[in-house]
Amino acid sequence: MVRVTHRFEAHVLGESDWIAATEICQLCRLDLGAVMELAELGVVAPREIPPGQWQIPATALPRLRVVGRLMQDLGVNVSGAALALELLEAQRELERRIRSLERLASDH
Amino acid sequence: MEFRDYYKVLGVERAATADQIKTAYRRLARKYHPDVSKEPNAEARFKEMQEAYEVLKDPEKRAAYNQLGADWKAGEQFRPPPDWGSGFEFSGGAGRPGGATRGAGRTGRSRAGAAQDGAFHDQDFSDFFSSLFGGGTPFARAGRGAGRDHHARVGIELEEAYRGTTRTLELRRPEVKPDGSVELRTHTVRVTIPAGVAEGQLIRLAGQGEPPSGAGQAGDLYLEVHIQPHRLFQLEGRDVTLTFPVAPWEAALGASVTVPTLGGTVEMHIPAGAQSGQKLRLRGRGLPGQPAGDQYVQLKVVLPPTDTPQAKALYEEMRSKLNFDPRANLSR
Repeated sequence: MVRVTHRFEAHVLGESDWIAATEICQLCRLDLGAVMELAELGVVAPREIPPGQWQIPATALPRLRVVGRLMQDLGVNVSGAALALELLEAQRELERRIRSLERLASDH
Repeated sequence: MEFRDYYKVLGVERAATADQIKTAYRRLARKYHPDVSKEPNAEARFKEMQEAYEVLKDPEKRAAYNQLGADWKAGEQFRPPPDWGSGFEFSGGAGRPGGATRGAGRTGRSRAGAAQDGAFHDQDFSDFFSSLFGGGTPFARAGRGAGRDHHARVGIELEEAYRGTTRTLELRRPEVKPDGSVELRTHTVRVTIPAGVAEGQLIRLAGQGEPPSGAGQAGDLYLEVHIQPHRLFQLEGRDVTLTFPVAPWEAALGASVTVPTLGGTVEMHIPAGAQSGQKLRLRGRGLPGQPAGDQYVQLKVVLPPTDTPQAKALYEEMRSKLNFDPRANLSR
């Protein structure tokens, strides 16, 4: 076994970063049609720069990866995966609120 | 390495049809999918299933796996036969491509604190799978040009998100040597994660994904940051909330108190007449950023116990001297 060590400064992707839709498709195991359908459903807001070339905000990548995994692993369609994503996010938010209220109500 | 019984993993007979295998996988995937499951060890179970399904759904791989015989038991010590893979014709379907990202540990080469996720080609399948279907076997894919992007999750503590931190990742890559043999190289990548990284934020390491086979560029490595739950602080975006116990007289009369924050303790004034559940804001005391997050201090009034005659006497004095009805609103 050969070991090679590299050191890297990380580039944190923020709201000003955009990724080509083709690269998003490969990263998320989605086809372009699915990404566009997700845009119609409001899951992601792409931009067209230059005309004919779509870009996706990098901050949308984690959500799109969940959609891609749900579609590939569970066999659900785009609408079903988008619905599951929103329900999972709502569930997480409710769990967070419950934890917060439990902290307030619990004995210290 | 240990033998893996892929039929047992999916709970099907060796004679199961392709449809039965698919149905079994889908049923188990709904139960153990890491994005939806609350089962313990869901991620590990799901990877086992994916690995089993990857082999059993593919007629070539399944036939080769079956050739090992039915006498093997899960967990038995195993080594591939010397003529492994001979006698099969290959359609060129995907085997395990040339790259896998191991976990991103906090120190050294630990795999704790992070988990692989995502597409099949990202996954850290077992050594058993690699020895049978990975790089260097006849089942591995032919060269394709540009390498693909990889994706990994990195778990960090809230304090590390506040101050910045480093992580060491191991990237295992089979690489073809000039003589045509395949050598497994481990690339150790030390990543500096800057202060102020938020939950779910992505970090891109250009060229650290799958190496190209032939012409083309290496893929990128994407790290998705996950911040572990904290003992004191709850994180929401860049803001943190601290539940802060106060005595009734501190809430009633006001007080100057010492409050822990991610950057150290600060003095804070509680206004007179504060109520339990009320939130006070410490501007800019959340995670760093443009703008920085805030810290919210949520007051929690804690009653002193009535375990001494003196404490009881004080409560009785309040009852007799204070004209206080906490349920006044209910009688309207």
